[in-house]
Amino acid sequence: MRGAALEFRDVAKSYGELSVLQPTSLHIEPGEFFALLGPSGSGKSTLLGTVAGFVPLSSGSIVLDGQAINSRPPHKRNIGMVFQNYSLFPFRTVAQNVAFPLEMRGASKQEAQAKVEAMLAMVQLGHLGDRLPKQLSGGQQQRVALARAAVYDPPLLLMDEPLGALDKKLREGMQDEIKAFHRKVGSTVLYVTHDQEEAAAMADRMAIMNRGRLEQVGTPRELYDEPRNAFVANFLGEANLFRLRDGASSGALVETQSGLSLKTGHVAAHPGPCFACVRPENIQLSEGSAASDNSFSGGIEDAVHLAGVVKYRIRLNPNCSVIVRAASERGARLHDLGETVSVTWKAKDTLIIPE
Amino acid sequence: MSLMNDAPRGGRSGRLLLAAYAVLVVLFLILPILVVVPLSASSDAYLRFPPGGWGLRWYQAAFNEPRWWRATWNSVLIGAPVAAISAVVGTCAALAIARSRAGWTRPAAVLVTAPMMLPHVILAIGLYPIVVDLRLTGTFWAPILGHSVVGIPLVFVAVSAALRNYDFQLELAAMTLGANQWRAFSKVTLPMIAPSAVTGAVLAFATSFDELMLSLFLTGPRTETLPRLIWDQLAYALTPTVAAIATLVLALSLAILVLVFVLHRFAAASEPSTSGSQP
Repeated sequence: MRGAALEFRDVAKSYGELSVLQPTSLHIEPGEFFALLGPSGSGKSTLLGTVAGFVPLSSGSIVLDGQAINSRPPHKRNIGMVFQNYSLFPFRTVAQNVAFPLEMRGASKQEAQAKVEAMLAMVQLGHLGDRLPKQLSGGQQQRVALARAAVYDPPLLLMDEPLGALDKKLREGMQDEIKAFHRKVGSTVLYVTHDQEEAAAMADRMAIMNRGRLEQVGTPRELYDEPRNAFVANFLGEANLFRLRDGASSGALVETQSGLSLKTGHVAAHPGPCFACVRPENIQLSEGSAASDNSFSGGIEDAVHLAGVVKYRIRLNPNCSVIVRAASERGARLHDLGETVSVTWKAKDTLIIPE
Repeated sequence: MSLMNDAPRGGRSGRLLLAAYAVLVVLFLILPILVVVPLSASSDAYLRFPPGGWGLRWYQAAFNEPRWWRATWNSVLIGAPVAAISAVVGTCAALAIARSRAGWTRPAAVLVTAPMMLPHVILAIGLYPIVVDLRLTGTFWAPILGHSVVGIPLVFVAVSAALRNYDFQLELAAMTLGANQWRAFSKVTLPMIAPSAVTGAVLAFATSFDELMLSLFLTGPRTETLPRLIWDQLAYALTPTVAAIATLVLALSLAILVLVFVLHRFAAASEPSTSGSQP
């Protein structure tokens, strides 16, 4: 089945006085892979729960494929859901797990068997249909959960941190598998995660959530390149954020509270406190003095060699340091701690964003 | 584990001493059985240990006495409903407490299990006036209700243990897959807790079948149970018939024990998987 459009219209949830979801509106395209990204407690799982039907709305409506579904009980929404701990039925075999939703829909034995076999083949578990879930590895169990959630062709698949219980290496493999699975089944996917790399790697578009509201919605690249505020800049990737002095921006020059003057490509007027944001990989590091729009020198305070990159912290003045990510070339000399280097970046890479 | 096995142990004499101690403990535990079984096969006219001769005449006597049959049947008529009531009420209580996150669940669990700790004589003193008030004296309902008070906690404890590691999210998963609330429970949760509920119900039956104190208060001539009849017989006719009956009850109890063990294995087999994070 083709995926269906999902729309949140002023959806809000509160428990008494405590508001866990601010009024939220969001449109997800048919067949889109959409990620909800945010720290724990940001409301992303609550938002997912409102779609599944576990969390009754306080106000607003949820429209799937043109029909409001928010007053239907969970079992009448025809939505597939994959849980973090898989939630496979332990006393049912793999094939019986996948057949469960078909049983609930009153499918005939032959019809169910054919669909289950096709689905298990799609997730490469055709040979393990007779096993019990506990006899499978974590990755295999997750594939069973995918097969079970999609076997009845739901127009929408919900995934709640589906890779959260797997180790890093396996997680990356499963990301590709879930993407491939999404392409094959064509359902719209709403994917909740707190892992920004995972969201960026998988999603067509994503929303960053914080304290019960959507901070920003866009493609992973838009969100990274044009973060709307300091929270988004900080949450997605790494950011050097410099608090600006209030009202000290004149044209293309801004003053930070820590005493730096920065050239910026885009001055936008925001009410309230503002930050200059510079991504660590946009900063060049050199030994001599170098000229650019923004040029400072400072001592190296810390150097961490990560796989493929070196992360330096350079102190520009007593109140201010920057993080620089430099590609690590094979055999190249690392800068020593305490060494004085110059850091430069272009005016266009200094973003001005509100808190 | 291997560390434990490799750990140095006491010498040979120490091990012998330990073995002797273990044998003594086991002997002590099964001594009543070792006495009652030979007693039942006595040819004597009264209870005497060791018996002067052997024979099965007291079994014959027991089988020929309709009163024993009636009492046994009464015990079944009481035990079976007790098992059913305990299974339903105990399971529901365990589910309610396992599902709830409210603060009252702990005190509630203590209250439900309290009859297991209370002396039966005290329960009996409390139950008797209630039974009289409800005009249930002499009916089967009196011992059925009384025994259910001690049977419900047994099911409650067994099912609560099964629910301790149970993830109610499985029901949510079933609902997203198209199961309504009842089917999510009956197709997912119930199969997981059924072995424990049945184990508890069997124990409730066994407890009811053995129970004397409540039966003394709550049964009448028409509803007298096997333990009550044994008690009455012991009071004025010390014939080895009682030993024969006791041996038969013992055999039944052993059968129930084996049944519980088998059910337990079955329950363990349906435990939820905990291998979620294994690669």
